[in-house]
Amino acid sequence: MILEILSVGLLVSACLALFLDEVVYSVAALAGTFLFTALLYLVNGAVYAAIFQFAVGVGTLAVLFLSGEMLSDKSSKKTSPKKLGTLLGAGVILSVPAIFLSVSGSTGTYSSASFGDALWNLSGVDVILQALVILTVALGIAIILYERRSGEK
Amino acid sequence: MDFVILSLVMLAIGIYGLLTNRQLLKVFISIELIATAATLNFVMLASSMGQGLGQAFMILAFSTDTAVSAVILALLVIVSKKYGTSNISEILKTQEKTESEAEA
Repeated sequence: MILEILSVGLLVSACLALFLDEVVYSVAALAGTFLFTALLYLVNGAVYAAIFQFAVGVGTLAVLFLSGEMLSDKSSKKTSPKKLGTLLGAGVILSVPAIFLSVSGSTGTYSSASFGDALWNLSGVDVILQALVILTVALGIAIILYERRSGEK
Repeated sequence: MDFVILSLVMLAIGIYGLLTNRQLLKVFISIELIATAATLNFVMLASSMGQGLGQAFMILAFSTDTAVSAVILALLVIVSKKYGTSNISEILKTQEKTESEAEA
């Protein structure tokens, strides 16, 4: 029962995040989406994934709140209660197929590996990930410098 | 309860939002939803099979996603500062106007 409630909450908050008129409320709904996803992971036994989703989600949302305030149009219209009700209804209706239908085939036998073993086996990928982070930082610095240079001109 | 359908529905919501929204930040939120749908499917399938590999891959994928998000947000702020709006249609109109003025 709890999985069904979480999946309904996930899809409702996803609909609200996309179609609310106020950007800050959209970001708040996205926070709900991240929270419901983390809870789904937790209930399904993926504890590390839940903690990571929660930690990264908080960071992403903090930045999104700031940029949402910067980018939002102050004179934008507000969401009407009718639209809010429609969005909530759409979210609930969209979650019905996930609750009542099934496409999963027969389950075979799988070799199970623990999270620690899997992370150790993937340690080679970590190098690529570090390179990506360095590349991102370099790109961010390049963007800031480019903006300053064009501002000086 | 089927997580494949759940993540498929979430993916569809994200793609629909990506195609219909004209605000830059909403487009970004759509991309976040699509990424969340993909990781949700991956982690749920792996954890239902009792594998830790799905969680390990999710952590790597989410780190990459966060790095990409940071770059996208920086670009969004720059574009909206440059054009004075965060609406894609208005940005395109301004760009076309500038190009036609430059040609003339």
